[in-house]
Amino acid sequence: MTAWLVRRLAAAIAIVFAVVTITFVLIHLAPGTPFGADEQHQQDPEVIARLVRQFGLDQPLPVQYVLYLRNLLRGELGQSFSQHRPVADAIADTIPPTLTLAGAALVVDFAIGLALGVYQAVRARRFGDVVLGNVALFFHSLPTFWLGLVLLLVFGQWLHVFPVGGMRDPVLCPSVTSARCLGDVLWHLALPALTLGLVGAAGTARYQRAAMLEVVGQDYVRTARAKGLRERRVLLVHALRNALLPFITLIGLAFPFLLTGAVLVETVFAWPGMGRLSVGAIFQRDYPLVTGAALVASGVVVLGSVLADVLYAVADPRIRASGGST
Amino acid sequence: MLRAMPITRLPVRLPAHVALVGLVLVSLTGCERRRGCAGDYCGTLVFAAAGEPDILLPPVTQQQYAQDIFGQVFLKLADLGLSQNTIGDEDFQPQLAERWEWDDPLTLVFHLDPRARWQDGQSVTAADVAFTFDIYTDSLVNSPFRSSLRTISAVTTRDSLTAVFRFHARYPEMFYDAVNHLHILPAHLLRPVPRSQWRSAAFGRAPVGDGPYRFVAWKAGESVELKADSTFFLGRPHIRRLIWRFTPNLQVAVTQVIAGDADAVEVLGPPDNVKRAQAAANLALYPYRGELYGFLAFNLSTNGDTTKPHPLFGDRQLRRALTMAVDREGLRKSVWGDLAQVPPGPLARLWSIWDPETRQLPYDTAQAARMLTWLGWRDSNGDGIRDRDGQPLAFRILVPTTSALRRQYAVLLQEQFRRIGADVQLDEVEFGVFDGRTQAGRFDAAVIARQADPTPTSSLAQVWTTAGRSNAGRYASPVFDRLVDQASAAPRRDAAKALWRRAIETLNQDAPAVFLYAPDNMAAVNRRVTGVVIRPDDYWALVRTWRIPADQLTDRDRAEP
Repeated sequence: MTAWLVRRLAAAIAIVFAVVTITFVLIHLAPGTPFGADEQHQQDPEVIARLVRQFGLDQPLPVQYVLYLRNLLRGELGQSFSQHRPVADAIADTIPPTLTLAGAALVVDFAIGLALGVYQAVRARRFGDVVLGNVALFFHSLPTFWLGLVLLLVFGQWLHVFPVGGMRDPVLCPSVTSARCLGDVLWHLALPALTLGLVGAAGTARYQRAAMLEVVGQDYVRTARAKGLRERRVLLVHALRNALLPFITLIGLAFPFLLTGAVLVETVFAWPGMGRLSVGAIFQRDYPLVTGAALVASGVVVLGSVLADVLYAVADPRIRASGGST
Repeated sequence: MLRAMPITRLPVRLPAHVALVGLVLVSLTGCERRRGCAGDYCGTLVFAAAGEPDILLPPVTQQQYAQDIFGQVFLKLADLGLSQNTIGDEDFQPQLAERWEWDDPLTLVFHLDPRARWQDGQSVTAADVAFTFDIYTDSLVNSPFRSSLRTISAVTTRDSLTAVFRFHARYPEMFYDAVNHLHILPAHLLRPVPRSQWRSAAFGRAPVGDGPYRFVAWKAGESVELKADSTFFLGRPHIRRLIWRFTPNLQVAVTQVIAGDADAVEVLGPPDNVKRAQAAANLALYPYRGELYGFLAFNLSTNGDTTKPHPLFGDRQLRRALTMAVDREGLRKSVWGDLAQVPPGPLARLWSIWDPETRQLPYDTAQAARMLTWLGWRDSNGDGIRDRDGQPLAFRILVPTTSALRRQYAVLLQEQFRRIGADVQLDEVEFGVFDGRTQAGRFDAAVIARQADPTPTSSLAQVWTTAGRSNAGRYASPVFDRLVDQASAAPRRDAAKALWRRAIETLNQDAPAVFLYAPDNMAAVNRRVTGVVIRPDDYWALVRTWRIPADQLTDRDRAEP
């Protein structure tokens, strides 16, 4: 198990390194300059030239890359061109909002997905299963940004049930110091979490339905029924517990989905997370910030995947016995 | 006000856990009690901003939202008046300087207001003024405003409240150059910051100023909050809190103002947004002169080689013919409605030199067609596209994807040029790419928008003279350059205006661009705010004089920070 874990972690580091390298090269090769004009102002070419020298962008790309790696090994992610502060600070500010959104979306995703999947499995190939299957497919096919815009328009602008973006009311609740302000954050969180969670829930439901269908045909479920247990207990205690195993894998898979989805959802809902930060950094050609964000995002995804594998091994003795060679 | 209903009185019997969840939700979202600030100095104003400032340190940023915010925190020596007259000094309003005088034609002396204080209690001194000039002109700090201060040779102190500006030469906008870009900085707090590290100084995210508002907090990606300085020496601001709420784009910002999540937005932008805001009962709209103009620039040099003339647009007569083929009024009505005008040259509505009588090329498609034929451009094979020596009359228009308006213009221009026999293709690219290609001259024609300073002197010189740093189309006319120099040096407004008109008429006859639109801006502010005056060059410059009457205060206005 330990050797397997070491191998898995080494692979994870290699993946993160590859992501950082590819991102570094691609963003530097993208046309445009980090110090050019914005929509309002032209930048003085002399000022641009000095900034280019100051940040070493006049050096050949391989030299810049080596310098970046050297700083990275020292734990320095560099200075953000667009935010005038260390990249680490800029990213650190956005991690709590992104984790809050991803966590809430995960709860929505799994709660709805699990319930739907079990219901569909119980009613397999009947009317309810077919209808819900198609509804789930519909939501699964929706682009998250489109669903977000529709929810924002309907519940934010037309019905005024939820706020139109942001993470909190800056007037009444500039920080979470009371239960009311916690409620305010949850209120602001509702639409973005629903947007991200609903699209994911549709996929989760399909996984769960398949897993349940596989399990309900097993001998031990038949035995449970033969013992005279109530159907509800058979399904929820005996069948569901084993059908939940693939769920652990789903948690690992959910990380990349949630992080990529968050890029668009955070932009639509003005949520101050890492996705919105990354989008802004890309458009502004903020090389250190883009590369830093890619490093952190890939790290989280890979770590999530390793964690899921470990949990799987803990939950399933067969995996432990085979040394994790699944 | 919401109240929690006692569980025993619920009309329907609910399971206990459902009732408990309901109770928790009610207590979490329960309304604020009606208490807190009351009277004339309350009120919270939330600005919806379609972006976030990069840093709140005046010498190192020219970003719009940063300027909006630090403009409330840092004062200038004097500020432009509502007349927007940049010539001479008579229309400027005292700020940190209570008065000024000219010792001789090249020496300007400012006397600081002795009541002025930094928000940490220290006095504002002439040493702060000299320090500020030193910072703005230091190559290590690399301020974008450095080139605007080249005409000032030195700033010295005569005593603790007297600062002396020395100029290299005499010209009409000396005073404007001395005061417009310099936000005075606290030397005692900033002197320890190494000059090469000013771009990332921690002070820039928690500034201490001398203006009507003090910095409170900056929540990255969310908001910046300022609070009124009740001891401000030019008069206590009426509105107690200012909050800038950051949104990813203008649509969301406008939606927040309409929904009441924010109170004001400085520019509504395209006509769709204006219509939405007009339909909102909670908003009052404030039009003011715009500082932007848009045009189709012809690249006079070869696409990708600025040393050679463009095979098409190097020909002045061809440019004139194409300009005459464009129905600018029709385009303006179609895209902007009544929110913009067709500029009579490279002019923003903000400028006093705007003169509708300025001579320009007419819209005359018949004359344009005759000119093209005369130049040898004929449709020899009947495909609807003119050609000459086997080469079709074809070019590409570059346009940024970030501007829906400019994309709309590009499509309409494509159609108008097609009618006269020109084959036009569109290159829609992301803004960074657009900027890079226009700067490098890698385009045939481009739909460009330019934001203007309050004075045409710097703006027109930068964009249209031979030495201009933002002259994307590489237009070069010694006659125009000379007229710009003369207009910039004219001592009186009327003389300057006549010279500017001659310069612009010269440029119009050369047709280096088709001038398409100059919008008037429209701000939206919640109706409970009174005394709203918007200065076109600095939208929120007069916010400290706005107020929310006591009988209009909402719970949000009264809430204690």
